[in-house]
Amino acid sequence: MSTVQQTLLLTQWQFRRQATMLPLLVVVQVFLAIATILGFGLVIGDPPPDQALYLATGAPTITLVMVGLVMTPQMLSQSRTEGSLDWMRTLPVPRGSFLVSDLLVWTLIALPGMVLGVVTGVLRFAVHLSPAPWLVPATLLVSLTAAAVGYGMASLLRPTLAMLMTQVLVFVVLLFTPVSYPADRMPGWLRTAHEWLPFEPMAQLVRSGLASDTFSMPGRSLAVLLAWCAASVAGATWALRRRA
Amino acid sequence: MGAAGVLTVRGLRKRYGGRGGVQANDGIDLDVAAGQVVGLLGHNGAGKTTLVKQVVGLVRPDAGTIHLDGVDAVAQPAEARRRTCIQAQANVPITGLTPRRAIELVGRIRGAERGAVRAQTDALLDDLDLRPWADTPAEKVSGGIARLTAFAMTVVAPGRLVVLDEPTNDVDPVRRRLLWGRIRALADEGRAVLLVTHNVREAERVVDRLVVLNRGRVLADDTPAGLTAHLQGTLTVEADLSPGAPEAGWGWHPAVRPVASMRGREVGTVRAADAAEVVRWAQEEVAAHRLERYALTPASLEDVYVDLVGHEQHAGQAAGATTGVAA
Repeated sequence: MSTVQQTLLLTQWQFRRQATMLPLLVVVQVFLAIATILGFGLVIGDPPPDQALYLATGAPTITLVMVGLVMTPQMLSQSRTEGSLDWMRTLPVPRGSFLVSDLLVWTLIALPGMVLGVVTGVLRFAVHLSPAPWLVPATLLVSLTAAAVGYGMASLLRPTLAMLMTQVLVFVVLLFTPVSYPADRMPGWLRTAHEWLPFEPMAQLVRSGLASDTFSMPGRSLAVLLAWCAASVAGATWALRRRA
Repeated sequence: MGAAGVLTVRGLRKRYGGRGGVQANDGIDLDVAAGQVVGLLGHNGAGKTTLVKQVVGLVRPDAGTIHLDGVDAVAQPAEARRRTCIQAQANVPITGLTPRRAIELVGRIRGAERGAVRAQTDALLDDLDLRPWADTPAEKVSGGIARLTAFAMTVVAPGRLVVLDEPTNDVDPVRRRLLWGRIRALADEGRAVLLVTHNVREAERVVDRLVVLNRGRVLADDTPAGLTAHLQGTLTVEADLSPGAPEAGWGWHPAVRPVASMRGREVGTVRAADAAEVVRWAQEEVAAHRLERYALTPASLEDVYVDLVGHEQHAGQAAGATTGVAA
């Protein structure tokens, strides 16, 4: 049996375990996207076209980030608490396969909500999108990075602390990241922080993928995003290999 | 240790949480040979789970060696996992799957061929009488069925060493027998089985050897017959006093050595040679309405276990709070 086959079987196991929850997860994501778009719409009133485009192209990122940074660590913390992760780790499977299969599942689970987020934005604000040819791989990279950061967080921190972090992240991501509004509205220190955090690059990548006529993707942001992705995967792999 | 040794543990030590922490394993030696079922007995916190986690490389020992089928399990945990399969004490949640699907998937993840896995799954479903639930969603099966499913997941593509942690918990008496039969069969196929349990009475009938663990140390390691040998020729006698009979004036036959007394139930031991005399006496006591019932039983492994661990427990308490108790 090859490692690839093993990884796919593991993916099947993880996916089937989540399958009963899947419809509910999609509903929650759609809700998130709608809440972001309609909610922020209420906060700022009737936004001018450029702001409307910003909101509509930010909402899909919010759903991707929420699944990766909130739902993934919650599920992982749960499986650590109930002991199923420890049992899975007794199986003769390369440690990396656990990570790959989990990331695959969570990357895919985030996608339907993201698509519906885009649709909601287009319908609500009647914005014009100009999708770039690399939109799909870009979305996958954002989803993967979000899931990897969440996974790394949940495998390195104690389960209770990881759960608490996810709660905090919901607020931080919704209100204090330059995803649904431009970074220049933020105080200087926060803007500087976001130059090193993964949220702004994620938003930029999805935004420039959806409206390539209006937005572009700075090379530096791509580098920051890739660095976060690599560091999280490395951290999570280390945590899976670690022996107490 | 002969050539058939599958698991060999020597001088295993593990301490959790640094100096003020807990000495979970404190110099354990353990052997499990091919074809053997070895029972590992001990209280909660005796160090059983820590031992098992070190065998499959989830926990790294502070000192000592673990060899599994010729492989150094400490240096090569991945090789050790290939040779071992484990049923954990807590059931692995399989919501979203059916018992059959879960068993088959684990078999294939463990690297067995699709056809072989299917055949083996069918055999297990039959042997454990699980067929009526084979295709029921996991969230609708009872705890006992989930437990048996977890067992089947463990042994569908077994390694050279099979570790079972309380496999009979929640299982009904009828299927429990099927399960014990299946566990014995694993050893008869030439695998080494390490059975972690509290259930001394049931394990007694299946195991070839018993290892009693307490506070991270091996208290005893022998065959069931060997462990009870010093009690051979001794019987346990239990008697329930009749309700309403005056407790104060009652006393055992002189041949009985009193052991315990609580709320009208008296327990003692008697030499086998005196048993007939004691039975005659007890019959008369029943006839005179001073006793409600009585029973004579051979000294069991459970008596030995309680005796062993009980002594140690008292000794530990007397030693004071300086030594940590394994959690």
